[in-house]
Amino acid sequence: MDAFNNLMYGFGIALEPMNIAYVFAGVFAGTIIGMLPGLGPISALALMIPITFAMEPSSGLILMAGVYYGAIFGGSTSSILLNAPGVAGTVATSFDGYPLAKQGLAGKALAIAAYSSFVGGTISIVFLMLVAPLLSKVAVSFGPAEYFALMVLGLTAVVSLSDKSLVKGLIAAVIGVMISIIGIDLQTGTERFTFGSAHLLDGIDFLVVALGIFALAEVFYMLLRGGGGKEAPRNAIGSLKLSRSEVKQIAGPVSRSSVLGFFTGVLPGAGATIGSFLGYSMEKRIAKDGDTFGKGNIKGVAAPEAANNAACTGSFVPLLTLGVPGSGTTAVLLGALLVMGVTPGPMMLEQRPDVFWGVIASMYIGNIFLLVLNLPLIPLIAKILDLPRPLLLSLILIFCMVGVYGMSFSIFDLLLLLGFGLLGLGMRLFGFPAAPLILALILGNIMEESMRRALQISGGDWMTFIDKPISLSLLLIALLSLALPLLKKRRKKVM
Amino acid sequence: MTRFNTNQWLALVLALVAAAYLAMAWQIPNFPLPRPVDSDLFPKVLGISLLLLAVCLFFEKPSAVAGADEVDESSHGPLLLTPWARVVVTAIAVAAYALLLVPLGFVLASTLLCFGLTAYYGYRRHGVSLATSLGIVLALYITMTRVMDVYLPTGVLPF
Repeated sequence: MDAFNNLMYGFGIALEPMNIAYVFAGVFAGTIIGMLPGLGPISALALMIPITFAMEPSSGLILMAGVYYGAIFGGSTSSILLNAPGVAGTVATSFDGYPLAKQGLAGKALAIAAYSSFVGGTISIVFLMLVAPLLSKVAVSFGPAEYFALMVLGLTAVVSLSDKSLVKGLIAAVIGVMISIIGIDLQTGTERFTFGSAHLLDGIDFLVVALGIFALAEVFYMLLRGGGGKEAPRNAIGSLKLSRSEVKQIAGPVSRSSVLGFFTGVLPGAGATIGSFLGYSMEKRIAKDGDTFGKGNIKGVAAPEAANNAACTGSFVPLLTLGVPGSGTTAVLLGALLVMGVTPGPMMLEQRPDVFWGVIASMYIGNIFLLVLNLPLIPLIAKILDLPRPLLLSLILIFCMVGVYGMSFSIFDLLLLLGFGLLGLGMRLFGFPAAPLILALILGNIMEESMRRALQISGGDWMTFIDKPISLSLLLIALLSLALPLLKKRRKKVM
Repeated sequence: MTRFNTNQWLALVLALVAAAYLAMAWQIPNFPLPRPVDSDLFPKVLGISLLLLAVCLFFEKPSAVAGADEVDESSHGPLLLTPWARVVVTAIAVAAYALLLVPLGFVLASTLLCFGLTAYYGYRRHGVSLATSLGIVLALYITMTRVMDVYLPTGVLPF
């Protein structure tokens, strides 16, 4: 009953006319950005930060949640229409979505993606509503040692689950933390790594890094791939209607994948990509017509779509209850919240119930908007894919720069943005994952602060991280998360 | 003489960065009051970690990077239009934009950058490009300055 009352309170906030407008704008903008190959939810969210800066935190987060959902859905659209997933979380959708589009059933595939996303999102929101308050009650008892261990786990999980080299992932994470501690140390007032520059005293704004590493680096990468003069052929969309038997066929996969996706999303590091692949492979294994997966089976679109949306919601659990993001995307969201003056964590439910429940209610509304307004608009929105690539690349550059300059009014930051864009390109070319860097950048300061507070309390005794059972277990899991991929690699070699 | 592979070159660069970082970390002054953990501890841990990871990377066999093969290495046409030249020219254009933003103003600098780069990337419908660039830049300018109260430099233009 309590949850119901709280949700009603949240609806009161989310249904304010301005907030409804923000949800719609967010979902719409997210769909467009997510649809553009290469630009995923992280870039979409980073581009939105300057807009949310002056907003009420609840409205800002409502807009961001809409963008997040929209970007995932937009990614599915380009997966289905172009076989060019805009987001890693929608790669699995293209396995059956694109073959369906080639058969002239793109509209059907898009409708299945939208309905499945809606159901996945809705089921997972119910879970979020139930799980989040419980988890935040547990998290209230966390001290600095536990927080430090939790953040170490968050980082190692993201590193170990990326498909790139473990060592390179860890290097990216260390560099992220290194960037985060540039500036004045708030505990002692000591300058660190500022090179005597007054511009660096306040540290490097995470927006500069996020836009550089993701959006600007993506522009450079697209230029390297040939400037994008070559447009992929686009299939006609066709009817968006589903028959009753088709709805029946996808009902089971959608509900199973929604639950699976949610719990995958809650785990640090997992998120939409793994959720969608798990959903897809689970259904392929269960289905009687599993051999038709990959050739245009509608269940092959429904399962990953339900799972990736559910995982998106699931990833809000650690962010809102522990204040620790489990992925690059939620790390950007955390950064946006901090910019707005809201610190997520176990106390957020008590201190900022408007933000917490407002966001949950807006997720419901965002899902409905995605279905009712976005789906019929898809043929229109898909025209964005016809925008000439050269013009698109130039516009992304302008958006990045106005985003940075509008926040800091600093030419120095624009030059830093360029530097991070080139760093992002280098990382991409040499196989360094970007998500650990951005997560570490957000967590670095809090991690150091937790570590120092824990050591201050223990009088400098490092055993404090091992003496406490929760902290010890979290550190052990972190160690395990790094060891498992190594063992797997070794076993593969032996075989 | 054995030739280094990509990972080994990267490891050497990272080791140098780590060494420089550690040298700077050791120069961080101590806080006057004694405390269990000072400002220099965390950076030292980070520097040592990067150094150790660089050693690990040195011995890691390089694997094919997903998407790296998609890089268009063809060098047909003029040097200025090769993919790498495009990246360099774009980077220079962005740096020039940063330096000219205040003197020229947001609208003029952004329109020039957007239109100029679009033409450089090979889009030939200049009218459409100019109209779109100017339209979007003006829309951004009005939204930022009038709706969101964010100051953007006016430069040589009167508004």
